[in-house]
Amino acid sequence: MEQTVNNPADNTSAYNFAYLDEQTKRMIRRTLLKAVAIPGYQVPFAGREMPMPYGWGTGGVQVTAAVIGPKDTLKVIDQGADDTTNAVSIRQFFAKTANVATTEKTAEASIIQTRHRIPEKELREDQVLVYQVPIPEPLRFLEPRETETRKMHALEEYGLMHVKLYEDIARHGHIATTYAYPVMVDDRYVMDPSPTPKFDNPKMHNMAALQLFGAGREKRIYALPPYTKVKSLDFEDHPFEVQSWDDECGMCGARDSYLDEVILDDKGNRMFVCSDTDYCSERQDAGHRGQQHHDQPLGGPKSSPSSEKAAE
Amino acid sequence: MTLQPQTSNLLPGFEHAAFDSNAVFRVLLDAMSRPGRIYDLPINITAPDGLNTSATAALLAMADMDTTVWLSPTCATNLATTHLKFHCGSPITPDVSQADFAVARSDEDLSFIAQLPVGTAEYPDQSATLILMVDDITDGPNMRLRGPGIKDTHSLDIKGLPVAFHTWRTENHHLFPCGVDVIFASSTKIAALSRTTRIEVK
Repeated sequence: MEQTVNNPADNTSAYNFAYLDEQTKRMIRRTLLKAVAIPGYQVPFAGREMPMPYGWGTGGVQVTAAVIGPKDTLKVIDQGADDTTNAVSIRQFFAKTANVATTEKTAEASIIQTRHRIPEKELREDQVLVYQVPIPEPLRFLEPRETETRKMHALEEYGLMHVKLYEDIARHGHIATTYAYPVMVDDRYVMDPSPTPKFDNPKMHNMAALQLFGAGREKRIYALPPYTKVKSLDFEDHPFEVQSWDDECGMCGARDSYLDEVILDDKGNRMFVCSDTDYCSERQDAGHRGQQHHDQPLGGPKSSPSSEKAAE
Repeated sequence: MTLQPQTSNLLPGFEHAAFDSNAVFRVLLDAMSRPGRIYDLPINITAPDGLNTSATAALLAMADMDTTVWLSPTCATNLATTHLKFHCGSPITPDVSQADFAVARSDEDLSFIAQLPVGTAEYPDQSATLILMVDDITDGPNMRLRGPGIKDTHSLDIKGLPVAFHTWRTENHHLFPCGVDVIFASSTKIAALSRTTRIEVK
């Protein structure tokens, strides 16, 4: 395999392997080693401009570019789906600049770059999960000054975060944070799990795979080594709980996966469907059927309205 | 007068800069995220006098003009410094408190390790990484490791690791989140100790 990827226009070398130059990759790699050594701590790095806008996963792309090798198989998901614009374009980006194999199967991937979900299928030790992170600082909305949030992390001064969760309870009767739900890593650093639904927080705890987080605009990288304690913040009398649904997936009938609500018409009809497309299609291939699957008889019982228990 | 670069006695670096550095980095990343687990050096490389192959590979993969390297007296041979200056472009410092990467042999005087930068409370990442060259790395029961990256426990045995290292390491662990991370490099194997790892010495 070639270390450079030719530009088809004039057949000259256009890109280094995986787009970034070697010195940039080394800088990111050093950052990654520090990040795994200090779980949950945000390591600053000299984030580069990527050929995609901020907000489209430039942090995750830089982490993936530094980690990926010619033998890797890459899967990219956006909100759990392999076939959305962001996922497709990043997958094609690495297929083009690194000439690596890509897949939509969670089990076949060695590197999974994700926006806002963790795959339903349990990840293995030989897999790496790369998160795209918009705002890495969990305290940012409580304290806008970076100098102050640095101090708060240094002094383990996290009382303000508990006050915020308490105010949720005072106002709504329960903790109303449903995504980017803050976690405590290895009893030391409060970390933003990126805007994953809190449904996914328990999967981070003691995960066998290495988890890397890249924030391109904010130029921060952080990490969770495998088998690291990750606890969602809560109170004794208001313990952390995840979303649950009265409905099942309309396509595969799953009751244990994170469901997206799909509005079907303007008459209040809706369906719920797995957000993890690979999980859903694997279940369908195994013969599982939901009531709204196209090979099920029409006019089956409609799903009930407003079935998500946890309030948004 | 023309400058004659003395490249005739230089050893080659990576055969494939992009792939070899990636392979070595992936081993270092795995080693650092699973402290105490032992990995094989994934590539062939010749080491200059003063360094061993794994330490050379680690430096070539990770060090460049942005990182200051400190070499212990037995490592700082002419060949080793020339090799690192040519292939990495790294500044080599005689001042251990300036080091981003410090390289030493486990059987020499380790009193320098107390002076390695450990970072600050606000920037604990601004710390040194110690690359310690050792004769052999096995999963013998000498050290039992726990902490992030370790499912239950990992066993690690580093041949000839002095007591002074363990004394320093205990103090280093208590500095968390500050501290120095250690990469053990034998001629064919690599293992790492993250600053989070708790060590029970038998």
